[in-house]
Amino acid sequence: MAEIQNFTMNFGPQHPAAHGVLRLILEMDGEVIQRADPHVGLLHRGTEKLAETKPFSQSVGYMDRLDYVSMMCNEHGYVLAIEKLLGITPPVRAQYIRVMFDEITRLLNHLMWLGAHGLDIGAMTMFLYCFREREDLLDCYEAVSGSRMHANYYRPGGVYRDLPDQMPKYQASKWRSQKDVDRLNAVRSGSMLDFLQAFCDKFPACVDDYETLLTDNRIWKQRTVNIGVVSPERALQLGFTGPMLRGSGVEWDLRKKQPYAVYDQLDFDIPVGVNGDSYDRYLVRVEEMRQSNRIIEQCIKWLRENPGPVMLDDHKITPPKRVEMKDDMESLIHHFKLFTEGYCVPEGEAYAAIEHPKGEFGIYLVSDGANKPYRVKIRPPGFVHLSALAEMVDGHMLADVVAVIGTLDIVFGEVDR
Amino acid sequence: MSDDIVNIEVNGETVQARKGQMLIEATDKVGAYVPRFCYHEKLSIAANCRMCLVEVEKAPKPLPACATPVSEGMKVFTRSPKAISAQKATMEFLLINHPLDCPICDQGGECELQDLSIGFGSDVSRYSERKRVVQDKSLGSLVSTDMTRCIHCTRCVRFGEEISGIPELGTCGRGENVKISTFIEKSIDHELSANIIDLCPVGALNSKPYRFSARAWEMEQRATIAPHDCVGSNIYAHVLRGKIKRVVPRTNEAINETWISDRDRFSYEGIYSSDRLLTPRIKRNGEWQDIQWDEALQELAAQLQKSAGGDTGVLASPSSTLEEFYLLARLAEKLGTANIDHRLRQQDFSDQKNDPVFPWLGCSIADVEDQNAILVVGSNLRKEAPILAHRVRKAALGGAAVSFLNTEVYPYFFSTDQYLKNTDLVAELASVAVAAAKVSGKPLPATVRDLCASAVSNAAQEATAKALLDADKGLVFSGLLANRHVAYAAIRQLVAAIAELTESSFGNLSEGANSAGACLAGVLPHRGIAGKVKDQTGASADQLIDAAAQAVILFNVEPDKDLSTDAVAKLADKKCVAAFTPFVSAALEESATLLLPIGTFAETSGTYVNVEGRWQSVAGVASPLGDSRPGWKVLRVLGNLLEVDGFEYVSSEDIRDELEQQLGASKETRTYKANGSAAKVGKGAAVQDVPIYQIDAVVRRAGALQRTPEALRSESGEAK
Amino acid sequence: MSRIRSYIKTFTLWELLQGLSVTLRHFFIRGVTIQYPEEKTPQSFRFRGLHALRRYPNGEERCIACKLCEAVCPAQAITIESDVSADGTRRTTRYDIDLFKCIYCGMCEEACPVDAIVETRIHEYHMESKGENIMTKDKLLGIGEKFDDMISADKAADAKYR
Repeated sequence: MAEIQNFTMNFGPQHPAAHGVLRLILEMDGEVIQRADPHVGLLHRGTEKLAETKPFSQSVGYMDRLDYVSMMCNEHGYVLAIEKLLGITPPVRAQYIRVMFDEITRLLNHLMWLGAHGLDIGAMTMFLYCFREREDLLDCYEAVSGSRMHANYYRPGGVYRDLPDQMPKYQASKWRSQKDVDRLNAVRSGSMLDFLQAFCDKFPACVDDYETLLTDNRIWKQRTVNIGVVSPERALQLGFTGPMLRGSGVEWDLRKKQPYAVYDQLDFDIPVGVNGDSYDRYLVRVEEMRQSNRIIEQCIKWLRENPGPVMLDDHKITPPKRVEMKDDMESLIHHFKLFTEGYCVPEGEAYAAIEHPKGEFGIYLVSDGANKPYRVKIRPPGFVHLSALAEMVDGHMLADVVAVIGTLDIVFGEVDR
Repeated sequence: MSDDIVNIEVNGETVQARKGQMLIEATDKVGAYVPRFCYHEKLSIAANCRMCLVEVEKAPKPLPACATPVSEGMKVFTRSPKAISAQKATMEFLLINHPLDCPICDQGGECELQDLSIGFGSDVSRYSERKRVVQDKSLGSLVSTDMTRCIHCTRCVRFGEEISGIPELGTCGRGENVKISTFIEKSIDHELSANIIDLCPVGALNSKPYRFSARAWEMEQRATIAPHDCVGSNIYAHVLRGKIKRVVPRTNEAINETWISDRDRFSYEGIYSSDRLLTPRIKRNGEWQDIQWDEALQELAAQLQKSAGGDTGVLASPSSTLEEFYLLARLAEKLGTANIDHRLRQQDFSDQKNDPVFPWLGCSIADVEDQNAILVVGSNLRKEAPILAHRVRKAALGGAAVSFLNTEVYPYFFSTDQYLKNTDLVAELASVAVAAAKVSGKPLPATVRDLCASAVSNAAQEATAKALLDADKGLVFSGLLANRHVAYAAIRQLVAAIAELTESSFGNLSEGANSAGACLAGVLPHRGIAGKVKDQTGASADQLIDAAAQAVILFNVEPDKDLSTDAVAKLADKKCVAAFTPFVSAALEESATLLLPIGTFAETSGTYVNVEGRWQSVAGVASPLGDSRPGWKVLRVLGNLLEVDGFEYVSSEDIRDELEQQLGASKETRTYKANGSAAKVGKGAAVQDVPIYQIDAVVRRAGALQRTPEALRSESGEAK
Repeated sequence: MSRIRSYIKTFTLWELLQGLSVTLRHFFIRGVTIQYPEEKTPQSFRFRGLHALRRYPNGEERCIACKLCEAVCPAQAITIESDVSADGTRRTTRYDIDLFKCIYCGMCEEACPVDAIVETRIHEYHMESKGENIMTKDKLLGIGEKFDDMISADKAADAKYR
């Protein structure tokens, strides 16, 4: 028999299905994968070291840029770690706002994932539908923080500003009559919460549409069922978290197991898969969207009924209100010092983890008592999941690599950090 | 001495303290920080800011830690609720009248008021009434004022009374209306005055030249040495993007404690004067042209090779670095000339063969304040070495008998023992020597017998000698006026004789920052590298220009200001005058044929040897301007062009280490031994006092210093 | 029974037809696209876009060169040089923002004690040559003057939240 040489093939980093800058070295035996070796680091920006060179509060903006499809969740992990070290708890309203935006972020992330994953394995329509829904959520991001992606909205001690009580509106133009504009602005006439409520009302029907398109679709099932199967034991061994773990049937969700913020006061369910294949993970994520929608609705209700401060009133840590800063000596001094030196965090270490859309996102902070962290370690879920890629694609066909990368839901901002 | 020790408890921790110590010293010892504004280790205790209130067991009210002496068994709580609330209340009161100036205040970011407000104050104000406003004072060109920000800690007032000795600031009014003020609109006028900038805990007193130009957090703090007097004060240059923005003292208890003179603090302005020479320039057919470095140095090397050894001369400023001196000395050696000197203002060289290897103060700077009797001869000490004058003042306040012997009376702000004033220094010294012989009962040393032949002593001179003789530790030293005196040799022998008779230490001040370095490196006509006696003595400073017929190298020298009056005209006749200089002036343009831009003290690494023989090496702190380069690098390239062996130095440390190796033990040879009979008295101007702010090229260009009352006085000719 | 139903569904392409019905429905729904640039999506008054330096209504520059924005800028995009101005006040002599470094986090605006540096709604701008990424003081003041009405309205709307 003639000696057969395996093919070695480069997948990425400029491959459209590589989800960013993943470079895979694939060893192929014909169409079958023998070995897959992910090369990471092409998007390394040294976030941990950057954060170690500046005051605590200045790095929030860099957390947005880790997993850049679930911005506020990253921020949440970081501010929680600081709050843990400082021993402070933000006002309840701030916690509700954070939970609400965490869930909005989860929707953003899952919609992005669903669209991109669908596109990767042949369901183009999904991408358009998902992005249509994302648009409304990004408008919420913009309304509250001023930025559609890199929000920089959470602060140690709360959130920067309260929710706005008006939404920006469409203007009439030569392309759109006043009547048409009025129709578009109907949901924008009230506060941001009204706008979000309107979204929540329509969103379950949207998810139904996605499911109609995918869940029973034979092509979809052929591409995902029994692809990248991970047993529950193996999933735990590999350090899986989030939908990757739940897809394998392990019931583990930090929002339930180690509740942070106000998750223990909210009513929601944790979907769990059975087979641990790509299809189950798809089902888990779709169900999570429905559950997130429930949580958002509960938050909206609470936030409507309970006005109050969104930032801790301790100006040793949080900047004073601008009005106070402008005519009050103590406030001015604190404002000045907070924006130049920041505050000193007591010596110690803390690990804060949140249930990020992709899994457990953790920040491990060591403080030596200075105004900068001594060490910041980011525990990104994507990195852990990517490390299981080789195992998951082993023996699959080349086309399945794309399906597995998709099901991992990785974003290189956080993998490479 | 166990009686002197008391045990107290600070926050539950037992501390031993000396009786009479204040609580704050004990709490500082254990690291229990107590907030303070008015307390300063170098100043007396005022206890008027009330910030350091702590709880003391059994005391009904919180007590100020800075003014409460320790007593046996005291239990102190610095962070108890009572102490915290007292501190918080004080902070609130201090901020009531403080203006909302942080964003425009230079102190912002390094302000003690801000720091303590964050650490010990409340985070919100309860005061909503009107704030008081205080009119600013004009304190001259060095210190800017924003008196509304003052919290009346009176550190500046106490500084005037206790450190500079001239109470320039005081408080007037009371209660809400208290203000810090000058005495009837006078600007501050003491050579240490600007230290109040560092003392002021808030932004009330700030540096005027630095005003609004940078923030504390954006500057880099780089250590260096102030090169304007022989003390070698330790300073920090605060550098922003390669440019010095200000200079602050670097604490060194052995030299300058926490103070620096105004000259050291504000001279950096000169570095950025518009006179800076930015490219090498050459005079061709009477026209100045910019040229490249390699071209300039090749030209110079060619010229130097053309002129015969003795026709070449080197003159260097005594404030250059040790490394530059050493390279100059080696170059002179290579060129075969002994015409090299740094003693630009000295007139009498007759006794130079007896010079010690390098000039020495006679004791360490820190020891000056421990002397029991001091005689200062021929020195305007406050202007020559302000930090040393402060040490002498401390000695006097400590009970030492400090006497001066000068041609005129210079004011000192302490009671001097004797003030011997005589326009003829030699005669007066001879009388003191006679007096010393009389009170000690010893014969006059042979070296001065001729000089003292006709001298008769009076009561004041005898008292001076008696004080020195009786003192446990006595010190006699001569200053720069004596150095520059036409009869320096005679003066030195007489001073040495007085010291010998009264069993005191003997020493003298030296010009510039690094005369000692120049002597060690061999920038002398009669001594070579490491103090080796030269076979043939070359021409010294004033004769050098005549002797060197062909080529003269001027290193950091401004001929019109640093040399004799006719130097410019004489130099203009030479074929080649290469001026290594950071600055260009009309006189340099007239006298030189080649201008080579070198870095100032801030832009070059190097070593300074101060008057107590301390070697202090520093790195360059600022980026050189334009094409200017550190002097040693330029000299190294010149040496390479002249093919001097072993001239491949990589760093200034290489050069220093090489010299240090050659010096060996002679590095410590610093005592003067009088030898031979007394020299004759020469002719010329007897006393040459150089105004404090005219001492070197950098200081002359420091704008703010030139606008001080002191500088204006010396300009109008009424120097004191 | 369910097995038979499943076979029928498989052979009639039932789930595919269901999916097609969704897309068919969408064929008749009004599109959500807008005709950029003639038409634009709504923009929040909190939007963080291009920077501007503001003046007081009397024309005086607001910026007092306190350098808080420079200190707080996480990307160190701001470079300020300051000096005493002709009237003795603290003013900048140079105020540069490097738009390539800027991460539009809004911290400068938050830090500014006099509301001088602001991020405006402007987000459509481009650079054509090297060096244009540096927003100098003149450019920033120019934007502040040109869009003063918009900036003032936006800041007024947001004032109560800050």
